[in-house]
Amino acid sequence: MVPVSWPAVELDPVARLRALAAALPHVAFEERVIEAPFARVWSYIEDMERGVPQFEGNVREIQVLRREGERLWLRSRSPLGLTLRMQAVLRPGWCVMGTASGGAQIGMAARAEGGRTRFAHFEGSRWLGRAARPLFRAFVRRDLAKLARLAESV
Amino acid sequence: MTRSTRRDASEPEARGSAGVPARGSAEPFAPSPPPEGVDVSPEAEVELVRAAQRGDAVALAGLVDRLAPFVGRICGPIALEHGEDAAQEALIAVLRDLPGLREPRALRGWARRVAAREAVRHAQAARREAARSGAEAGALPAPGDPALAADVRSVLARLGPEQRAILVLRDLEGLSEREAAAALAVEHGTVKSRLSRARAAFRRRWSS
Repeated sequence: MVPVSWPAVELDPVARLRALAAALPHVAFEERVIEAPFARVWSYIEDMERGVPQFEGNVREIQVLRREGERLWLRSRSPLGLTLRMQAVLRPGWCVMGTASGGAQIGMAARAEGGRTRFAHFEGSRWLGRAARPLFRAFVRRDLAKLARLAESV
Repeated sequence: MTRSTRRDASEPEARGSAGVPARGSAEPFAPSPPPEGVDVSPEAEVELVRAAQRGDAVALAGLVDRLAPFVGRICGPIALEHGEDAAQEALIAVLRDLPGLREPRALRGWARRVAAREAVRHAQAARREAARSGAEAGALPAPGDPALAADVRSVLARLGPEQRAILVLRDLEGLSEREAAAALAVEHGTVKSRLSRARAAFRRRWSS
């Protein structure tokens, strides 16, 4: 038996999130290189209940109700008091969460680039549609800047 | 990207009858294992498609987990160094048009067609660009180099994108000639002749 491999390509999490965001016309997607190692950056997403509210401006509080492997069932509360029940998939470098009807859609992905981290983030709402995309773009940029400040200041 | 190991001429059965590394007789490409707790059944995929069409981003992410390795397996051998760009664009095209997919079970066949055509388009564009800049000859491995000659990638690089596409669809994906013709939007007779030439060229270069 001669082991022979066809040269397949594997898309990294950031490329996958870029593709996912391109399919959601109402979300705003941004990328940024953060001057901190992957493990430190991703620790804010991995520790969802404590980490995500520190940089995600539309989430004041998040509670993990149930966890089965990579699948999470969440309850989140916005700064305006809106409570949402969401599902999420979470693994190193990849996190997508949202409500079943698309009312809230959030994605985060990261890959190491040497000692730095390329971080991608999208956010949007199917309920609010494309008109709200500029607003979400501002939110996403704000979130990325905040996460970079947190991770780079450690 | 996985590189092939050296060819062992004493084991011809390791290749298909045409001399092309065959799915069952050579070590198959090992796709990423499905993420933990993921139901990989076709029924689960149908449910994912329906949920994604309703706007469920987590379901759409589940489809990305399934489709990214699938399109990567098709785009890699056809578009080679442009495989990543082709795979990403194929994935975007499939996900973008997902709301219009009426029959969720048709997802894989449709994604295969999109990926193959996208990969050929990228490879043809790269070939045109290389021809313009005169870089093509230099970019190819030197004939007779035993290390490179044993490398599937380098052998594939010596074929045209259309020949690579037909080899991938027939010998890696296992499509019939008619299915491959439909996937590439060409006549059945074109597939027949292209496949015959591609296999002959592959065999010749593989054993050179």
